[in-house]
Order: sequence, then C-alpha cells, then structure tokens
Amino acid sequence: MPIKDILLDWRLHGSVLVITVIAELIGVIAVPIGIGSILLLPLLYAFVMGLLINPNVISGARALIRDREVHAASPLIVIAIMPFIAKFGTIIGPSMDKIIDAGPALILQELGNLGTIVLAFPVAVLVLRMGRESIGACFSVAREPNIAIIADKYGLKSQEGAGVMGVYVIGTLFGTFIFAILASILATTGAFSIEALAMACGIGSGSMMAACSGALVHAVPDMEEQILALAGASNVLTYATGLYLCVFVALPLTEKLYDLLGRKEPSKAGA
Amino acid sequence: MSDIRTDDIDLTEDPKLGLGAHAAALAVVCVIALVGNTVASENTVPQGLVGLIILWVMCMIGMLLTKFVPFKLPSVAWISAVGILATMPWTPGSAWVLDKVSHVNFLTLATPCLAYAGIAIARREIEIAKTSGWKIAVVAVLVMTGTYVGSAIVAQAFL
Repeated sequence: MPIKDILLDWRLHGSVLVITVIAELIGVIAVPIGIGSILLLPLLYAFVMGLLINPNVISGARALIRDREVHAASPLIVIAIMPFIAKFGTIIGPSMDKIIDAGPALILQELGNLGTIVLAFPVAVLVLRMGRESIGACFSVAREPNIAIIADKYGLKSQEGAGVMGVYVIGTLFGTFIFAILASILATTGAFSIEALAMACGIGSGSMMAACSGALVHAVPDMEEQILALAGASNVLTYATGLYLCVFVALPLTEKLYDLLGRKEPSKAGA
Repeated sequence: MSDIRTDDIDLTEDPKLGLGAHAAALAVVCVIALVGNTVASENTVPQGLVGLIILWVMCMIGMLLTKFVPFKLPSVAWISAVGILATMPWTPGSAWVLDKVSHVNFLTLATPCLAYAGIAIARREIEIAKTSGWKIAVVAVLVMTGTYVGSAIVAQAFL
C-alpha cells in the first residue's frame, strides 16, 4: 500500500479522531466491586469503539471502514504509541533517584515474569490436558519478541507456534482490559505496595503498560509520578532483558516441565 | 476451514514506512492527540501544541537513533531513552522541557493508539481466537495474571 494512501486515509484518521474525542469526553469511570474497584479508562473505550467499527467484527461497519483502512491502521499503532513513550521518558528522567533507590527490586522483579509458567502451565497441562501448545502458550506473556523466539525454534506452524499465537491474539484483544483490571483490583485491596504493583506493570508492551499504570494512577493519584517512573523503567528493562530471560531460562524450564508433567498424560488421560 | 494457518501470520508484513513518512504519520497522530488533550484536560491548545511538538522531536530523534546506531534496539527503547536524558535533573534545560510537556496529559496519548489497534484487528486474528477456543483464552488470562502477580510478589519481597 502506498505511503500516501496511509497518510491521507481520512476515513481512518477521522474515525480515530472522533473515537478519541468521545472516549475523553466520557472520562474515567470507577466501578466498585467487592474487593476493590475496576477503573474503566478512555483508552479502553477507544479500543472497544475501534472494534465496533472494524468490519471484521461488525460487518455493517464496512460502509465506513473497509479492508484498506484495517490494513492501514496496523503500522499506525506503533507510531501512535511513540509520543506516549516519549512522554513516559520525561516522567522517568526527573525520578531517576527513586528508580536507583528501587534498583535491586526493579531488576529482580524481572524474574517474576516466570510467574506465567508457575500459574498457567500446570493448568494448561494437568487441568486442560493441552499438548505441546502449552509450551508456546505458557513460557512468556506472548508479545512480538516471544513469538520470534518460538518461530525461530519450532516454526509458527507447529503446536508450540499455535500456543504462542493463541495467547498473543487473546492478549492483543483483551490484554489492556486484563492488566487494567488486575492493577485496579490489587491496588484497591492493599495486599501489595503500590511501588511493587507499578514495577509489575512493565510487561514489555506499551499499550498494556499504559492501561496497567493508568489504572494504578487513578487508584492512587498522589503517587502518579512514582508509579509512572517505576512502570516505565520496568518496561524498558523488560525490553532489554525479557528476550534473554525467555531464551535462556523460561523456554528451557517450560520444556523440562513438559517432559515431567506432559509425559504422564497418555497413561493417565483417557481422552 | 477450521485449520489455522499460522504461517500466514507474518509480523513483518505491515507496510514499511520510511523516515519522512514516519514524521508525517507522527504529525497526524499528534494532531489527534492535541484534540484529545484539549477535550480531556484544562490545558489550552497552544500549551498542548508546544508540548506535542517537543514530544514529536523526541520521537524523531529516537527514530534516527534506531536507524543509524549499529546495534539493534526497538524504536520505543530509543525514544524513551531520549525522553529520560532530556529531563534528568542534571541535563541543561531539563526544567524547561518538563514544564512544556507537563501540559500534555499522558493517558490521553494512549487513546488514539488503542483506537487504531481496535480498527487494525484482522479477520484471521478473530478466527484464531475463535478456533483455539476457550482453553487458550483461559491459559492466556492465567499467563497475564501470572506475570503480573509474579512480578509484584518479587518486587514486594525486595523493596
């Protein structure tokens, strides 16, 4: 598609403009639930409205958004997140002292990303009786670099490839919701310190970190600067270290666990 | 039909944009963000405009670094590095930069991005979600919960 067509696609940019204005006019809504509250943010409404005018979701939307708009929107996601990332940098900069103070915790919490294996893998293999796709699905949070690892080692046509792609797609569709909801619930229950929850928001995906840290900021507005600084620093760290953690620790570990747990399957499972 | 052709999913198949096209596309996004910022906050249009111009320049420097620095890092890593370096207390002029960008609401900047993301969801992504079914959805939720709670527990322990 010629660049000019992407830039001058008024249907696309006009729709995004209207969506942005509506989303910002609605503003933040807090929904109280038993153990905390769920914060609905404008960026979440924007995503839902985008889906609602997506012809692949609602076929009636084809009158406004055609396949060419869908295709043109893709490269714009990365570009649209850039000013946000730059702004994030300007929040980290002045707080460098706080980040250095939190240094050891910040670096070590990268190991917490192995929590994907701890929580998801046993359920996938033992409860849901999934095959080797559980390796691809559970070894990481399945963002682009993780897909590249699986593509490189097994190919995306393999079972492992189907696993990583499945989680990738669910993450793309619902990841921002899930992290925003997790963050707002955990922040309002008081089980964790806000600093720890902020560091955990550095997932390695710009939009997921935005939703996660945004929910935290709205739960604890007094700590905005600190939350954003720690989430941003953790996210940068995840970009830097996440790939190595996956290649050298997470994937070999998941493989080993599959050998341990997965092999018993044929003798035990009737299915 | 139900066969998922995952080899069709090529993450590099998006149209590749050159630096000039990036600059223009970034400007389009900034205009949308400026409208959003004016609606969402008390900031005036001139205040938001100056802030966004500064952020635009940071993004462009980040993209130039991505292109010309010999070792490979994603452009978002460079862009955040530029933002950090420009606003560290010991950087000359950092107070001025901070004051200007403070008129841009940070969460509003993510809103247009997610609108594009919603529109960009392709048919085959919906098909994968449908065919891999509820099992992979359950696992995906556990994966995301696991990484978040896992990181929070470790951070909590070492703070």
